[in-house]
Amino acid sequence: MLPTYCPSCQTQLKVKCLKCESCQTEVSGLYDLPTLALLSSEDQQFVLRFVINSGSLKEMASELKLSYPTVRNMLNEIINKIKTHEK
Amino acid sequence: MKSKEIFSLMINPFTRIAGWHALGLGLVIVVLTGITGTFSHVAFDGVIDMHLTQELTFGHSFEFLAIDIVSLVLVMTITGFIISKGFRFIDILGTMTLAKAPYLILAIAGYFTASPDINEIMKNPFIVFQSVSFIILTLLSVPITIWAIILMFNALKTSCGIKGGKLAIAFIIALLISEVISKIVIYKLI
Repeated sequence: MLPTYCPSCQTQLKVKCLKCESCQTEVSGLYDLPTLALLSSEDQQFVLRFVINSGSLKEMASELKLSYPTVRNMLNEIINKIKTHEK
Repeated sequence: MKSKEIFSLMINPFTRIAGWHALGLGLVIVVLTGITGTFSHVAFDGVIDMHLTQELTFGHSFEFLAIDIVSLVLVMTITGFIISKGFRFIDILGTMTLAKAPYLILAIAGYFTASPDINEIMKNPFIVFQSVSFIILTLLSVPITIWAIILMFNALKTSCGIKGGKLAIAFIIALLISEVISKIVIYKLI
C-alpha cells in the first residue's frame, strides 16, 4: 500500500522522485499523488471492480453479495471522499 | 457464519437483501403472520402495535397488516424525499415490508397465550396478571417491537443512504406519524 500521509504530522505526502528500473534514470520534483491513490486500498479495489463491471451497481451488488442500496451507499461515500480530496 | 455476523444480519439484513428480493421475502412472512395471527387471535392493529382479540377474521387480519405497511412505506418514502438526495422506492417498500418480520414470532406466541375475557378485564383489570402466558406474551412483545423498530431504522438508513442525527430525528418523527396514520385509518375503515 502506497503511503499517502506523513506518519509524523499526517500531512498529505507528495512524490519527490521517480526512477526508471531499466536505465536507472531518476526524475526528481514535487508531484501531487493521483486522487485515487489517496483512497484506502478497499476503496481503490471497489473503484477497480466498479470499472471492471462497466459501472453497473447491480453487477457489483451481485459480485460482492451485498444489496443494491448498500453498494450505492459505498459508492456515494467514495465520491464524497474524492470530493474532499479534490478540495 | 460467526455469531457476530448472525447478530449483524438479524438487526440489519438490508446490507445483503433489499429491493424486490426483500419485498418477496417480506410479503411471504407478512402473509404467514396474517394467517397465524388470525388463528392465534393476534391483531397487528398499528405499525408497531399488537393486541390479543377475542375474534379475528382473515379479512381484518390482512387489512390491519396492509394498512400498517402502506402507512409505514408512505411516510418513510416522504421522509426519504425530504432527507435523502436519491433512493429507489422499491428499496423502501421491500425493506420496510421485511422489517415487519419479527411480528411473526408474536403471532406464533399468540397460540400459546390464554387471553383473559374482555368483560372480566373491564371489571377487574388486574385479572390479566393471573394469566402467566399473557404476561409472557406482553414481555415478549417488548424486545420484538424493539427489534422491529431497529429493522425499520436500518431499512431507512440503507435505502436512503443517510446517517447521523438527521436520520435518527427523521426516523422517530416518521415512525410516530405512520403509527398515528395507521391507527386513524384502522379506526375509520374497520
